[in-house]
Amino acid sequence: MATRNRTLLFRKYRNSLRSVRAPMTESKSGVGPVIEMASTSLLHPKRSYTPISTEDPGSSSKGAVTVGLPPDWVDVSEEISVNIQRAKTKMAELGKAHAKALMPTFGDGKEDQHQIESLTQEITFLLRKSEKQLQRLSAGGPSEDSNVRKNVQRSLATDLQQLSMELRKKQSTYLKRLRLQKEDGGDLEMNLNGSSSRAEDDDFDDILFSEHEMSKIKKNEEISVEREKEIQQVKCFATLSSLHSNLLSLSHCVLCNLQVVESVNELAQIMKDLSALVIDQGTIVDRIDYNIQNVASTVEDGLKQLQKAERTQRSGGMVKCASVLVILCFIMLVLLILKEIFL
Amino acid sequence: MVLVTSVRDYINRMLHDISGMKVLILDSETVSNVSIVYSQSELLQKEVFLVEMIDSISVSKESMSHLKAVYFIRPTSENIQKLRYQLSNPRFGEHHLFFSNLLKDTQIHILADSDEHEAVQQVQEFYADFVAGDPYHFTLNMPSNHLYMIPAVVDPSGLQRYSDRVVDGIAALFLALKRRPVIRYQRTSDTAKRIAHETAKLMYQHETGLFDFRRTESSPLLLVIDRRDDPVTPLLNQWTYQAMVHELIGLQDNKVDLRAIGSLPKDQQEVVLSSEQDAFFKSNMYENFGDIGMNIKRMVDDFQQVAKSNQNIQTVEDMARFVDNYPEYKKMQGNVSKHVTLVTEMSKLVEARKLMLVSQTEQDLACNGGQGAAYEAVTNLLNNESVSDIDRLRLVMLYALRYEKENPVQLMQLFNKLASRSPKYKPGLVQFLLKQAGVEKRTGDLFGNRDLMNIARNMARGLKGVENVYTQHQPLLFQTMESITRGRLRDVDYPFVGDHFQQGRPQEVVIFMVGGTTYEESRSVALQNATNSGIRFILGGTAVLNSKRFLMDLEEAQRISRSAISFTAINH
Repeated sequence: MATRNRTLLFRKYRNSLRSVRAPMTESKSGVGPVIEMASTSLLHPKRSYTPISTEDPGSSSKGAVTVGLPPDWVDVSEEISVNIQRAKTKMAELGKAHAKALMPTFGDGKEDQHQIESLTQEITFLLRKSEKQLQRLSAGGPSEDSNVRKNVQRSLATDLQQLSMELRKKQSTYLKRLRLQKEDGGDLEMNLNGSSSRAEDDDFDDILFSEHEMSKIKKNEEISVEREKEIQQVKCFATLSSLHSNLLSLSHCVLCNLQVVESVNELAQIMKDLSALVIDQGTIVDRIDYNIQNVASTVEDGLKQLQKAERTQRSGGMVKCASVLVILCFIMLVLLILKEIFL
Repeated sequence: MVLVTSVRDYINRMLHDISGMKVLILDSETVSNVSIVYSQSELLQKEVFLVEMIDSISVSKESMSHLKAVYFIRPTSENIQKLRYQLSNPRFGEHHLFFSNLLKDTQIHILADSDEHEAVQQVQEFYADFVAGDPYHFTLNMPSNHLYMIPAVVDPSGLQRYSDRVVDGIAALFLALKRRPVIRYQRTSDTAKRIAHETAKLMYQHETGLFDFRRTESSPLLLVIDRRDDPVTPLLNQWTYQAMVHELIGLQDNKVDLRAIGSLPKDQQEVVLSSEQDAFFKSNMYENFGDIGMNIKRMVDDFQQVAKSNQNIQTVEDMARFVDNYPEYKKMQGNVSKHVTLVTEMSKLVEARKLMLVSQTEQDLACNGGQGAAYEAVTNLLNNESVSDIDRLRLVMLYALRYEKENPVQLMQLFNKLASRSPKYKPGLVQFLLKQAGVEKRTGDLFGNRDLMNIARNMARGLKGVENVYTQHQPLLFQTMESITRGRLRDVDYPFVGDHFQQGRPQEVVIFMVGGTTYEESRSVALQNATNSGIRFILGGTAVLNSKRFLMDLEEAQRISRSAISFTAINH
């Protein structure tokens, strides 16, 4: 596709015209109308299309556009985008932690679990905070600025929605894979600790699984119990401590599960809120010309509403206040008079 | 594909290099160009947080210097004036000007003069000056489309403006495709000849440096033809999805305005029918009405199944899966209701205007012979009370176009009957049409009764019978495309401009129809491209016509001609 850059030509013209204009402004600030007229008549032949080579160095006053500070909501939006970035990096870490936790380990998977939990919590917290800040971005009043705010809000809402969907997908795949792994818990290559912790896991996974899986787990349990009997002495101590930790991790994992359910719920809530803000692709709302027309009509409506509000406010508050005060004044006056009469 | 992607590429390039929060400022024509290929959500992704029109932006006084302004406008004198005003009081931090067509030097000079604050960062020409509705169909959405029917002496400046706009649009198209074509035009049309010559002058003389692209083995072909060579296609009623929606309801920039039809939920009052964004529409836009009904029913059944499965949510996984699939579900629901609403509405209209009956006669008039039978049928329908005025007018016009020379008595009888039955009918409109597009004026073999080959083909078709009575008509464009494919486009009828010449067959052909195209022709082009004959056709026009629009253009042209005639009569 062809394009043509006219910037050079434009700049050339602009510079030449600027140096032509500058002497004119100098002379204008000078003496008076007579000289002004003379200079303008001289100016037209000067306005040739050939570039003037000698540029006036000092007099070119650039009426530069003062780049003002952006309004404060821009800071809020920047904060939100920073949070979204942070959430993205944490999601990458979470992905790695999930992968690590799913790998068969010799040790206890507890630190991994802790890390996963803490990361998930952090991310959900960041998303929640961003969402609250996003609500703050909603502007009042029909101005061009409010349109910009609304659009910034929309684009950030889309990002947030995508992030929360990603998080939930990651969580659900992790849970699924975890469950699959625990089903295959009858892997005899696991060491004692591994098998015993598997047995523990099998125990409290009864809460989640169906009959069929329970029978499989029971079989695994039996195998591991047999092996324990073989190494009774060492295992006696181990089973005691394992029972203890069994209880703890049972409650822990129930909690963990509850937490997962909770975070799923929370995310569903966030998604519902965000879907109100996000544009559906392919619909009429996604068309630029529709939005431009709508802006025009809503601006007019907004103006009417503002005027109405102003009227009601003016009529409502002040009148009531004034009448109350006047009544009080009268009462005080009456009391005063009565006091004078009867004393 | 190629048209839509080129406009999108231009817009991407515009927005890509500029970082930070942007505001996009358009004018009333470029807003159509942009919104038909780019969606609001994509703009948001490119950090464009405000879209404004250049007219309204002059009024507001807010200063938003944290935004960078990207202007994408046509280089007309009104726009330059508005720009001057805005540059003298700049509201934005930076100003990047993109023009959709060639700038004159004087215009650059004017802009440079008014840029006292040096607010303009760049001035570029990005040639996206056409509305790319479909992959191989574009339009210029010109408002006063009727000017092509009026001889040059009546309104020379108006015709010059018309011709300039068309030349600009065609030039922009070829710059976007990076090609310089060989130009041919229809001999019998003055407007087409004028446009062809002016385009050749622009491409080969004035801006020869800009158009000097890498030569391919065969140059592409630009064929400029006139709507009046085929007045039948816009008058016919249509039965394929996209064409039918435009004919019965109206499709503007791929949007359908259903507000005239009462009692619709708010999100269905204006809908988008775009083959890029809607997969169902893409596969059904060229199907006829019966097939569409079946496909929609299938879509509704699928949707009902999905809805049912969403209803029994028992476990956490189901809930999670529902929330996962919710956006797609919502999108599907919107899509289904949109198509169902459209088809319902069109069925109602077909029923109310008895279009099945009318259209059968129309197709017979357009395709088959038999003057006597045709006269009978048209008279019956004229007497039928439930046929609307516009349909009666169309029938008489089609009859007149076909049997112009046979049996003038019966023709007069039809005119009189039409005038007596339709109070709003402007007298003489049919005669005006015959004057513009009658048998003497037409080049092509519209009814297949000039050329011996065509007569034989018609007879064979009549004997064989047709698949569908309502879609048997083939626009004249189809024959033109076939002749080009076979390399048999007659030089006598379609001469070359100047000393251009084409060896062999072109591989890319752009057909520009002065006066407007129809969706039936766009369908014809798309189907031809799908046959992979080695030639890629692109169709464009000054507007997209349906029967209402075509009749409006005729009436407007008739009015102007009449006032011109009376003016000259008074002055003599």
